[in-house]
Amino acid sequence: MFQQPQEERAPTRGAPALQTIKELGQMGTPGTQPGEEMPFHCLTIIGQIEGHLVLPPRNKTTKYEHAIPQLVAIEQNPKIKGLLVVLNTVGGDIEAGLAIAEMLKTMTTPVVSLVLGGGHSIGAPIAVAADHSVISETATMTIHPIRLSGLVIGVPQTYEYLDKMQERVIRFIVQHSRVAEPVLREMMFRTGELVRDVGTVLVGAEAVRVGLIDEVGGLGTALYRLSQLAAGQRGGFQCCSTP
Amino acid sequence: MLLYTVVPLEEVLEGFEQEPKPTIQLSLGALTVEAEFIGGFQARVVRVLSTDPRHFLEPSVQPGAIIHGRFF
Repeated sequence: MFQQPQEERAPTRGAPALQTIKELGQMGTPGTQPGEEMPFHCLTIIGQIEGHLVLPPRNKTTKYEHAIPQLVAIEQNPKIKGLLVVLNTVGGDIEAGLAIAEMLKTMTTPVVSLVLGGGHSIGAPIAVAADHSVISETATMTIHPIRLSGLVIGVPQTYEYLDKMQERVIRFIVQHSRVAEPVLREMMFRTGELVRDVGTVLVGAEAVRVGLIDEVGGLGTALYRLSQLAAGQRGGFQCCSTP
Repeated sequence: MLLYTVVPLEEVLEGFEQEPKPTIQLSLGALTVEAEFIGGFQARVVRVLSTDPRHFLEPSVQPGAIIHGRFF
């Protein structure tokens, strides 16, 4: 069913940008002229990562079917010198999360991730998928086992299925960060740290100490690393100074 | 589907039984969007339907953006 709107969209110039800020918490790049492109793009992974199931409207979500073509566009645009992924997520769909992580990992455009606030559960593979990962001092990452949700009947196979899903996540994190597999497993099943659950909460520097994240820092650090990575690629590029 | 999240499942799925609003497809020049009609000659973009990845970077059709027009 195709219907052609008879009037032009966007009645005023400022309105769409304002709506985007309101709806998505994102904004364009103030101060840039039309047609002028910023060297680095920014992808925010916020709230729940929405996958196969449309989550109720009370959830703030990152829609993976929208994020993935954006990554494709960024990868194909030679004017975009790097991508900053800002994470403040509570987790979400495993397959959608791993899909975003795999896309980030295999991009030739330099990618730096910045964990602000929280990078919990499936946020961890996304954070480590970047070429360089930065965590702010107060940000936390929760490492915990995958639990059952959805319509899975309680038979021994259920456990094996969950175990397989968990292995995917563990393997990805171990392959793309400095964290050792036994350390990650130990953190995942540690007791006494989470109130009703097993797992570990890593705050800022702790995530760096265990080898999950590369560096403690903020926006300046992340952009500096990104410009360093970009300088080595695509004919060289210089933008940001040492923070 | 498996959710790997720190938020309790009952909180994530609160309001799940509510039926989502019906959506319409609108073609805006080269790209098509799926949008929900919110009345008053306005529709809210749900997703972009396009194979051109540049369309997904277009600010005016990001999910949540309002499109004005006469749709019927």
